[in-house]
Amino acid sequence: MIARVLVHAIALLILPIVVVGVIHRTKSLWAGRKGPPILQLAYDVERLLRKRSVYSETTSFVFRCGPWVVLASSLASGLVAPFLGVRAPLSCPFDFVWFAYVWGLGRIALMLGALDTGSSFEGMGASREATFAALLEPAFFLVAGAACLRSHERSFTAILSLRAGGGAPLVWLGSVVALFVLVQVECARMPVDDPTTHLELTMVHEVMILDHSGPDLAALQIAAAVKLTIGLGIVASLLNPLTERASASSTAAVNVLLVLVLAVAIGTVESLVARLKLRSVPQFIVVALVAAGVALLATTWGGGGGG
Amino acid sequence: MFTVLCAGAVLILGAVLALALRTNAHRTIAALATQCVSTVLVLVAVVPILRGGPLLTARWAWSYPVEVIVVHVDALSAFFLVWSVPMTFLGMVYAVGYLRPYFAAGRNGGPHFALLNLTSLSFLIIYSVQNALVFLLGWEIAAVAAWLMVIWDYRNQKVRFAGFNYLVSTHIGLFVLVAAFMLMHAQTDSMDFDAFAGFLARPSHLRSVAFLLLGTSFALKSAFFPFHTWLPRAHSAAPAHVSALMSGVIHKAGLFAFLRFTLLMGRPEEWMGWSVLGFGAVSAFFGVLYTSAQRDMKRLLGYSSTENVGIAAMGFGVGYLGLTWGKPTLVVLGFGGGLLHLFNHALFKCLLFYGAGSVYRATHTIDLERLGGLIKKMPRTAILFLVGGLAIAAIPPLNGFVSELIVYAGLLSGDAPSPVANAALVCAAALLAFVGAVSALSIVRAFGVAFLGRPRDASIHAPSDPPFSMLAPMALHATGIVAIGLFPQLGLVVIRAARSLFHVAGEAATDSLLARIVSPLQVASIVLAAGVVVACTAGWVRGRNARRHVTWGCGYTAPNTRMQYTASSFAAQFVNLFEAFLPQLRRERLPTSVFPAEPSHISTHHVDGVERRMFEILGQGEEMVSHAADRIPEQPRFAFAAGLVAIVILGGWLIGVGR
Repeated sequence: MIARVLVHAIALLILPIVVVGVIHRTKSLWAGRKGPPILQLAYDVERLLRKRSVYSETTSFVFRCGPWVVLASSLASGLVAPFLGVRAPLSCPFDFVWFAYVWGLGRIALMLGALDTGSSFEGMGASREATFAALLEPAFFLVAGAACLRSHERSFTAILSLRAGGGAPLVWLGSVVALFVLVQVECARMPVDDPTTHLELTMVHEVMILDHSGPDLAALQIAAAVKLTIGLGIVASLLNPLTERASASSTAAVNVLLVLVLAVAIGTVESLVARLKLRSVPQFIVVALVAAGVALLATTWGGGGGG
Repeated sequence: MFTVLCAGAVLILGAVLALALRTNAHRTIAALATQCVSTVLVLVAVVPILRGGPLLTARWAWSYPVEVIVVHVDALSAFFLVWSVPMTFLGMVYAVGYLRPYFAAGRNGGPHFALLNLTSLSFLIIYSVQNALVFLLGWEIAAVAAWLMVIWDYRNQKVRFAGFNYLVSTHIGLFVLVAAFMLMHAQTDSMDFDAFAGFLARPSHLRSVAFLLLGTSFALKSAFFPFHTWLPRAHSAAPAHVSALMSGVIHKAGLFAFLRFTLLMGRPEEWMGWSVLGFGAVSAFFGVLYTSAQRDMKRLLGYSSTENVGIAAMGFGVGYLGLTWGKPTLVVLGFGGGLLHLFNHALFKCLLFYGAGSVYRATHTIDLERLGGLIKKMPRTAILFLVGGLAIAAIPPLNGFVSELIVYAGLLSGDAPSPVANAALVCAAALLAFVGAVSALSIVRAFGVAFLGRPRDASIHAPSDPPFSMLAPMALHATGIVAIGLFPQLGLVVIRAARSLFHVAGEAATDSLLARIVSPLQVASIVLAAGVVVACTAGWVRGRNARRHVTWGCGYTAPNTRMQYTASSFAAQFVNLFEAFLPQLRRERLPTSVFPAEPSHISTHHVDGVERRMFEILGQGEEMVSHAADRIPEQPRFAFAAGLVAIVILGGWLIGVGR
């Protein structure tokens, strides 16, 4: 048990660095460059931690606490999320509700930090973040609800039971699509947001961290990487071909591989697809909503599931 | 029983003293002392009931038409009394600080304090009597007292209009309630709730009519959509403590009465459960949409009460369905979540209104577009407001999350008999998720624009935090919020007795179910809270000696404070998506040429969609009808045939109902 918790915690800290590295490497390869080392994020963070922060005179303690609250909430959400494809250490009934609202806490901390600078540019980013979150949240609950109706579990483990072998292909497919779109929007990846540019008017996530510097920026970067890894881990655990009968360690190993494959997929999407117009982002989110709705409707066909 | 009567007598004594004494200082002391004594008396009387002790009952013979007054304090009454009366006392403490500038200007505070005492008295009556006529008396005391408190600033025409609007609305609700009581009286020949129970226990057409009448009246009282039109005006016009008490405490009487009649009714029909759930969901949805667009902080908070009673009603709807289907899990989760959410809402909504009141007292405005940067001048108010705001957005280590979690658990339990019903409940859960995210948007907007950044209007000077008498009630509310958030068992203890009144016949209600849901996540919440505290401390300590500079202006070097993002611009992105529901009023004079000679201006304001439509019909309704009637001669035969069909359908329906 303790070993599993340790593995989970270590994976939560190390996997994000690798995932971000893999994405960057993929994008570099597509662009014909060699690319940074896989562990570049760790070097960046180490460098930022040695620096001093600079704060705007407009800001208050909200701005100073914000990044660390974001980091704390990302890490805490990792405690209940089964991103390794096996039961998480703090798994319990309705942990996905807690998970969704803990991400909400991180989002609020980030938005308040942005508003605290008094910069209209950052306010714009906060406004977009809040709007997209409001549209996304129902999609997550539709998927979670569909999963609950399919299985006897009322936790994240229910989502795991949707795996391809579960006998409900439409529920599975809808959930995968919905969750993948959700990760793309929530973690500010390509068709919605470009994490590499800080200076364009259509940014969402990145404009909110313009005024953060030094260790604060490091905290935000780790937090974003952790969120991305957790999101990809959940999608990967849906794609994981090993059923629950396989041993936990092999499932987790396969899941880590799948996360890296998904990271390559994200990098590929980012290299080949242009960013959506901001106006079209809500329509992109509707894709997630519709997919989740299909997953839910599909549960009503199969005689009601196990519920 | 004697203690409750004593509490009532003490409250009346306090009201008389507040009116009779000569100086405001004496009136304040008299009112505060009597409220305090009655609070203690009520707590002494009702806490044992919540712990499973014997119920309080008394009956007196009375003259016609009342005949007999039965007073019965059961667990449901005890649950509502145990927080309503103390919170009214805290509201009065807050009022002492809030009204001080008025007292300094020579205003007589006696009547206001007397009305606050009468409000507490009306709780004692509404929550304990079992006789329809006496119940109406308490209902009316609460309504009129609230109206008189709303128009404290009666010299302002807008305030008088808001008060009148409230008075009319609440009396429309009263008429509907009287109609319901008359209907039940006609069937039972009694005004006693026990006799009503005999009628309500049997399904019949008339029971359905009574249910609809009662539901409408209670929905008006608790400001459900679309009966909420009076609410934003009244909340915006009233003094902060009155808004707080109305939103958090007084209007919970509507939901209390709803639950009281639910208990009398026994097993409801399925359509009732769905309509309560649907009604709650619609209220939550529209309430939260309106919060996103308001620029008046108290109007925003007012709409958020519509949202939160909606969430509670969604819980009750689940409970209703559980009663119908005989599913104890749904009953426990639905009513448990709904009751706890009522209590939680009272805690955080009062806190937020008190925070808004502190802002108003310091700056004399609550228009978000003019505020900004208050956190530097009023750090304590800001922190307390933030705690309340996070709680209302149901963020984990706080109490709002606990009750919403239980409602979610009910909606996602998958206990409904058919897959379609289950899917419908999951859709309701998704809607609740949307509501949660939008209320996070609204509260980030309210807090971020008012307290963060820099002041947007140079003419506004915020001196400092409010006095202790205003901060103390806020701090107590915040303590309650954090305590229930970290130790949800506290909340469960408060609701346990009232919740166990609702159960499926023959099946024992399980207490452990709620604990099984909240306890494991409590560990996670405490871990999170510890993480957040460590994080905040780290951020705080590290930032003290850091280098300071200006906000980066993206290369623009001459920004001024008017260029900050405003409340309207923050909401614009979201509001545009829901334009159809959020009518916007614009007053504008735009510049006409490249070098405009005349000053131009623009002012936008989001009005209430329902109220606008209502006034449109009231103002131009006859034009609309005559316009429609004008077109009849063009198609006389068609109009005649359509009218005939309508009469046949209507007549058939009426005959069907009367059977």
